[in-house]
Amino acid sequence: MRNRKPGSEALRAAACAAICAALLALPAGAPRAEYGDVVINNHSDKAGMRPVVFPHWFHRIRFSCKACHADLGFQFRAGGNDINMVKIIDGQFCGACHNGEIAWAIENCNLCHSAPPGTPTQVHESTLQRMGK
Amino acid sequence: MRALLGFIFLITAWSAAAQQGKAVYDKSCALCHGAGVAGAPKFGNNADWAPRVARGAAALYTSALNGTPKGMPPRGGNAELKDADVKAAVDYMMAAAAASPKPAAAAAKPPAPATEKPASVEKPAAAAAAAATTSVAAAQPAAQVNAFNRLMRPASRQNPPPSEDGIHDPKNDGTHQLQAPRSAYENLPRANAGNRVNWVAALEEKRIAPRWDRADPKAAGLVLDFNIVREVKGSMPDVVYPHKQHTEWLDCSNCHPAIFIPQKGANQISMAAILLGEKCGVCHGKVAFPVSECRLCHSKKKDLAGSAAATGARP
Repeated sequence: MRNRKPGSEALRAAACAAICAALLALPAGAPRAEYGDVVINNHSDKAGMRPVVFPHWFHRIRFSCKACHADLGFQFRAGGNDINMVKIIDGQFCGACHNGEIAWAIENCNLCHSAPPGTPTQVHESTLQRMGK
Repeated sequence: MRALLGFIFLITAWSAAAQQGKAVYDKSCALCHGAGVAGAPKFGNNADWAPRVARGAAALYTSALNGTPKGMPPRGGNAELKDADVKAAVDYMMAAAAASPKPAAAAAKPPAPATEKPASVEKPAAAAAAAATTSVAAAQPAAQVNAFNRLMRPASRQNPPPSEDGIHDPKNDGTHQLQAPRSAYENLPRANAGNRVNWVAALEEKRIAPRWDRADPKAAGLVLDFNIVREVKGSMPDVVYPHKQHTEWLDCSNCHPAIFIPQKGANQISMAAILLGEKCGVCHGKVAFPVSECRLCHSKKKDLAGSAAATGARP
């Protein structure tokens, strides 16, 4: 492996530089969304829609945790709620507010379905995510 | 030598195969321009770039190709880059800056560092070619490795707008209609972790008025002012759990009895469980303040004389 040819030193240095650059550059491109932003991709990808981003911060300014997690039955786990559009139209889960009365209605598909296709279900910046799950 | 250079070029320029701006930027420019190291105009920061762009793209190309006395190494320290590569990277960075919103006040720039010497000067034994390749690492690291604080996300990169946060698709029209968190946080008390917002203080100071009932703005919950002290092993201060701050946000049924059995001594809680998202970790580390804020929970100083007996008595 070592000193196989005169260029190996330079080669190693170059490879090191490339790897270091890649590692250092990673955080710059890594997602850095809000702590607590939830991506829900239970059905979206399969249905050809962008996955849903739920911004916790936006909602907690306007509602107590209880309003969703007690009254509406949202489980404390990303992807742990079997939400679909029929349920939402029937006033369950998001549909309890996103009905055109308390909050804007469901015709604004892209306001929720806004993550890049293929984004996995996650709580962004959660301890588990930071530890690599 | 020439063959060696070519060989090395293949290795170091692997990501620049497309010879396009982003690839070049990621490889050779992001080290400094990503974080704004040593006065480098920061990527996507309009305030940093606007005055430079105002002097014209040609001037920027010249600076990028030849370097500047302020610390920009020629070709970003990567001698292998062709003129077109460097220009493509500059174009890419200018476009990113132009696309970003203008901040209210431009950040004060730190003084420019001493001009960096080409790497080959202090390379005694290594071949010139080797020096040339390591120049990516050697021309910038003096500033880079000692950057303050290189592993932390600088304040300017916290709470980015949805279109730049990495989990919203910038190609989606809805993304651009969403509120930017920074604008929402403007009048909220700050914190050092999580969203960088002290939510409990925000509620206490009435900066926010989250509805208790989704349809009734006047409804209010029953706040229970009752602290529970949990003695903990080791040197850490004991944990004070305040029902008050929790019941201002949550219903009893959110925690009891599924997560916490409402009975003294019935709950085994450990930091390991919390880190794994159980017990307090159901919220803390996901949306409530993260586990890095040790002293917000571990807040009761131990009575050292009594603590040995107390920890020994715990089940």
